[in-house]
Amino acid sequence: MEKSVLTKASHDTSPTGFTPVRIEVEGLRQSFGKFPALNGVSLAIEPGELLALLGPSGSGKTTLLRAIAGLATPDDGRILFQGEEANRLSLRERRVGFVFQQYALFRHMTVFDNIAFGLRVRPRKLRPKKSDIATRVQHLLKLVQLDDLGSRFPSQLSGGQRQRVALARALAIEPRVLLLDEPFGALDAKVRKELRHWLRGLHNETGLTTIFVTHDQEEALELADRVVIMREGVIEQIGKPADIYDHPATPFVCEFLGNIIKVNTTIVDGLAPALGKSFAPVGDASKGPAVAYVRNHDVDVLPDGSEGAAAKLLSTRTFGGSLALEFDVAGFAAPVEIHIPRMSDAPVAFTAGALYRLKARKAYVFSGR
Amino acid sequence: MSVSDNPVSETSFVRRALVTFVYGWLVLFLILPLVVVFVEALRQGIEPFFAALIEPDALTAIKLTLLVSAIAVPANLIFGLAASWAIAKFQFRGRNMLITLIDLPFSVSPVISGLVFVLLYGANGLFGQFLITHKLQIIFAVPGIVLATIFVTFPFVARQLIPLMQAQGNDEEEAALSLGATGFRTFLSVTLPNIKWALFYGVLLCNARAMGEFGAVSVVSGHIRGYTNTMPLHVEILYNEYNFVAAFAVASLLALLALVTLVLKSLLEWRDARNGKISAH
Repeated sequence: MEKSVLTKASHDTSPTGFTPVRIEVEGLRQSFGKFPALNGVSLAIEPGELLALLGPSGSGKTTLLRAIAGLATPDDGRILFQGEEANRLSLRERRVGFVFQQYALFRHMTVFDNIAFGLRVRPRKLRPKKSDIATRVQHLLKLVQLDDLGSRFPSQLSGGQRQRVALARALAIEPRVLLLDEPFGALDAKVRKELRHWLRGLHNETGLTTIFVTHDQEEALELADRVVIMREGVIEQIGKPADIYDHPATPFVCEFLGNIIKVNTTIVDGLAPALGKSFAPVGDASKGPAVAYVRNHDVDVLPDGSEGAAAKLLSTRTFGGSLALEFDVAGFAAPVEIHIPRMSDAPVAFTAGALYRLKARKAYVFSGR
Repeated sequence: MSVSDNPVSETSFVRRALVTFVYGWLVLFLILPLVVVFVEALRQGIEPFFAALIEPDALTAIKLTLLVSAIAVPANLIFGLAASWAIAKFQFRGRNMLITLIDLPFSVSPVISGLVFVLLYGANGLFGQFLITHKLQIIFAVPGIVLATIFVTFPFVARQLIPLMQAQGNDEEEAALSLGATGFRTFLSVTLPNIKWALFYGVLLCNARAMGEFGAVSVVSGHIRGYTNTMPLHVEILYNEYNFVAAFAVASLLALLALVTLVLKSLLEWRDARNGKISAH
């Protein structure tokens, strides 16, 4: 038996063959032509952490991931693996398991050969015996639940299976850190969900420091220990999923995490009114123009005559367990959409054209416009 | 593979008419001329045929043709690999111009390609004086023929590889490198297998053209019998001397070379496809 976790039964909870590594990124800068992809990014990733890099396209998240992997050389800044400067290490010495967005499986090799590749290309002195490679590949196939598919070619696999082969191939080199670029981007919704849970389980099992890139906020919030929100090459906010969701630090984070209603308002005596209620701003502004961000589902719809902002119902639409209501509200150019849970015994009957009152439960107010 | 009765495909009449037309066209313009070459070559029996081939001037022409393609094909294989690698994998200034330039020999008449070399390296050419003082002969000698052949055949390998390598992108190479493979190992076990058929096909086409090139070589060779005559030039000379049997005999050899390369290509492709299937199941 080898020392690696990969040789053990998958429910073994004992310490693994992977050594979790602490990764530090200091003042990373990189530009492509005139376009700055990374504009001074600093970040520390704890050993064994599962970190999500979240942001819209062009925010620099993939560039950051590739820089950590060593696939791109930053113009400036340092990357430390367990205190050791990684810029000086070759790709081989970095031992990074990288899972590409389109998997990048070797199309002319079988699944088995794909997974074995990283072991076979080692220098002779470090290369395991042929039989050891075979054992290790078999264990990895079992780990990613593809036991019988070793002799298939990538073109004969489904998207989810290819994804898992790519993972097994990355794990074969016993990486110090696992990096995944949009790992679920090319899969359909159901497979995405399944793989997400499976990846979480795999992470718990291996304890590897893992970083993945995504533009899907739901994915990041559900899967990660911590989320890094990026925008135009800088980090907007770092935090635990719940903290980021409950305490967004900037208007951008507010807008990026879920559906919001933007309310132009003014802070007077440290309070800003928005949709029938007043809220204290984020930060310490006591007066001046501001924008309040209200999540679509953080608004109560009350009968006309109650306290709140007067609103005329335009239309209703159901989706799944929710009801989307479109209101015409004074002071808003576009219709305001509110989401409420859909219940058969709704206390309020909704009729298009009728008048209601809207009252926000929670709003994030940022001074300035 | 049989054509299935598919509601989306054409009616059987259109299908048959189209297939018949294509076959008819091929017979008329491809098969028939090829057959004629061999029929004419063997018109007076097997002995004159072989006599024409082992005649000293013919032998020299055959040797020269083999020598020229033995230099031109590897040269263009290396150039083609380098050019398509650079174009497909890197972004750099003048990249699009390079793609257009590679196509130049396709759009320029071979005669002009030959003339260009005469203007450069001929006695009255740009480098003519330099070459004469150093007693180097390029035009009307083997080096000129090699240069002209390389010029005419250099798009073949690159043209096959560029679209393929662009479509395949960089991902697999990056994956190999991140798994710890060296650059050379990555080239050998990832890049090369992915492009091997396109590369092989490019080399075959390049070789066929290198052996068969007439126009450019004709300008720079000087037609010195037994010295600077390649097979196509030799065929022309024999034909102009009304020595039809000998002309067609040498021509049939060229045609045979083309057929052999074609069969070789089909065989290798067939074998690879079968191996792929066996290990896949």
